[in-house]
Amino acid sequence: MRYLKLIKVFIKTSAQETLMYRANFWVSLLHAFLNLIVAVLALVILFGQTENLNGWNLSSTLSLLGVYLIVSAIRNLFIGPSLEALVGLGQEVWNGQFDFTLLRPVNTQFLITFRIWRLFSLIDLFLGGAVLLYSIFQTPQSPNLLAWLLFLLALVAGILILYAILLAFTALVFWNPGYLFTWVFDAIFQLARYPLGIYPVGVRIFLTWIIPVGVITTIPAQVISGQTGAPIVFLILAASVFLFLFASWLFNKGIKQYHSASS
Amino acid sequence: MQFSKIEVKQLHKTYHVPQREAGFKASVRSLFRPIYQDVPAVKPLDFVIESGEMVALIGPNGAGKTTTLKMLTGLLHPSGGDINIFGFNPSERKPAFLRSISMVLGNKSQMLWDIPPLDSFFVLAEIYSIPKEEAVSRINELVEMLEMREILKKPVRNLSLGERMKCELVASLLHRPKVLFLDEPTLGLDINIQNRLRHFILEYNHRYGATVLLTSHYMADIERLCSRVLLIHHGELLYDGQLSGLNQMIEPIKMIRVTLSQQNGVNPKPDWLPASAEIVSQEKQHLHLRVAQKEAAACTAALLHNLPVADLIVEDPPLETVIDRIYQDGDL
Amino acid sequence: MNHRGGFALIKATWFSWMQYRSFFFVLAFGWMIPPLVALFVWSAAAGEGSLGGFTRGEFITYYLVLVLVNQITYAQVNWTVGDIIREGTLNHWLLKPLSAIYQALSSELAGKVVYLIFVIPVGLLLAILLKPEIQTTPINFVLSLVATLFAWGLRFAWGFWLAILAFWITRADSFLALQDSLVFIFSGMVAPIPLLQGSLQQIANILPFRYMVGFPVEILVYDLSNKAILFGFLMQLTWLAIAVLLSRTLWVKGIRHYSAVGG
Repeated sequence: MRYLKLIKVFIKTSAQETLMYRANFWVSLLHAFLNLIVAVLALVILFGQTENLNGWNLSSTLSLLGVYLIVSAIRNLFIGPSLEALVGLGQEVWNGQFDFTLLRPVNTQFLITFRIWRLFSLIDLFLGGAVLLYSIFQTPQSPNLLAWLLFLLALVAGILILYAILLAFTALVFWNPGYLFTWVFDAIFQLARYPLGIYPVGVRIFLTWIIPVGVITTIPAQVISGQTGAPIVFLILAASVFLFLFASWLFNKGIKQYHSASS
Repeated sequence: MQFSKIEVKQLHKTYHVPQREAGFKASVRSLFRPIYQDVPAVKPLDFVIESGEMVALIGPNGAGKTTTLKMLTGLLHPSGGDINIFGFNPSERKPAFLRSISMVLGNKSQMLWDIPPLDSFFVLAEIYSIPKEEAVSRINELVEMLEMREILKKPVRNLSLGERMKCELVASLLHRPKVLFLDEPTLGLDINIQNRLRHFILEYNHRYGATVLLTSHYMADIERLCSRVLLIHHGELLYDGQLSGLNQMIEPIKMIRVTLSQQNGVNPKPDWLPASAEIVSQEKQHLHLRVAQKEAAACTAALLHNLPVADLIVEDPPLETVIDRIYQDGDL
Repeated sequence: MNHRGGFALIKATWFSWMQYRSFFFVLAFGWMIPPLVALFVWSAAAGEGSLGGFTRGEFITYYLVLVLVNQITYAQVNWTVGDIIREGTLNHWLLKPLSAIYQALSSELAGKVVYLIFVIPVGLLLAILLKPEIQTTPINFVLSLVATLFAWGLRFAWGFWLAILAFWITRADSFLALQDSLVFIFSGMVAPIPLLQGSLQQIANILPFRYMVGFPVEILVYDLSNKAILFGFLMQLTWLAIAVLLSRTLWVKGIRHYSAVGG
């Protein structure tokens, strides 16, 4: 309850910080639409040349795009900005402001996960949802309630995996503030715009087992278009919980390292 | 009252740092077989700070002051020894412990940059679970004490350095910590603001009986606030006691100021002055000497005997000079 | 103009950048990803046959060259100059007895070298793995080099005038994001320009973006007619002239504005 209240305060404060720069609203709106147009245009150009991309047609690829936009919007809403405040040159771990975070009588992992919100990402979230719904209404038979439920589970698992990867990479900063794995991850995450199946075998293995970016978007999109079912969903749900636990463990280990490191 | 006593026993910290050598070969080698070096930052320390005491931690840069402060706040885990702060071990970072301490860092800010300080305070109030009305009344009180009402609604980025430090203090004291750690709180501020902040810290200490541990390079901070100093040098506690006793650490000296009734050069140093006497400066009728304490009486007598003295003052050397000499002598 | 000072600055900047090379390698990696995704998508779409007249091998060649050209021409001055104006660091520039363009150019050149140290080996590795097909003439090779040089100048000058809008507009970086979207669609990145449908292709031929990235690649990889090459160079030079003119005018006006407002 206390933590929910804290989240509320963080959201409120972030909103306030955002409102300090009012022009940003229009800029973000512009960016959101631009991103959407670019992404859709890319697919239209592609499917103008071919009808079928390794079993994916325009509408199922659009669903995937919708999932991708939703997942990235949630990442940009709070996970990304909160974690990014730690990583990189001149950021908290580097300049020692992280000390203040550690002195707070609140769970540190909670604090670094939820404290900064970029509310403009709600626009992207909305647009992503719209793309997803549009693509689903394009297909002849719409998914039933069970499919929607499985889809939601798969989406949650995907977001949890994304969070776990980002948290684990963030934790590495405690060993060396020069590590920029979260940035590398951001680059790799762009590969999740397209179905896992289009990539060469090596890349596919990498995106499934090493840095499971492909799983995050491809499986929810497959679930909603009926290409895959419950067993896979529960499998990635289990995997996501495991990854979450591992990342939390690594993060706490990182804090220990910070406590014993030279100032 | 024992409730905010700090006890430190055999506390020490050794950093295990990878050795870096210059050159490409060496850096490749260190990639495979890193060579570590143990750097003792703080050698076993023992001290007790009573509740409500204001103590200064002094020493030259790199002496281990910040390392000690960080260990006391639980930010850094000691390599060995015990810290007991009213029953807590800081390394465990128990919420109850964190709720009763606070740290102000002169060169770092905990304020949110783009919004007015008042809003940052409310976020902190929530983090420390202070009820809204209580938070408002505490903020009002602190704001009165610091005379900063007019800056509460301006974004922090538009505030001056001094105004920001006032905000830092409010932010750190909002939860009424029993122990306050101040690391260079007056760094870079003008004299006026420095005085104001010192006054505030004193007043806060009186009002709430908070224990204060402070590091500073400004002797004025220490003279004004702390009756007791801990001098750390090369990670060792060299002195623990009254500020005024520091002079005894080194070979004690006295300063003698003489005003002559007529201009009368004493350059070079005449032989009737004792061996340890040194002329610090000489300007018209004013003469300034430094002499070992044990020869001070003899020196005064000689001056009165040999010169047309109009006025003569014997005084203790300024603290800065003493500290400076300790830092320079190092090992003593 | 103080040329010796300029060269010294370029050298010094380069050394300090090598210190942070991992940081720049990560950035370079990030910029490689969108063309690489496009590479995978199009080669998957082409399969064993061909698409819009291009085989899989040709797509691979096109995109590998594009990765290289994109890296050479990418103007990061876009972002840095804007930050420098916003944060007031510009004062340091203006106090030095050196034309400010050197400051921008030095970080640009220093960056280029560091990026290429990363991109060339990675590009070669990808070439070995993906087996591109290439047939070109020495003349086209030289023309492509020349076009790359112009492309870099165009992208630099174009980025510069957009960046110095920061003198007047607090969020000028939103224009840069807008530009990046346009580059993505119209420079030949999302798809080779000849594959764009109808009016999109015509727009791409007129806008400056094709001449920042795609044009040099097309000269090398595709059999462009002499007329098409000539038209391309004419467009490129026209846009270059416009961009330089805009940069100069806006810079002079901007400095005047800056000294009047006091940053």
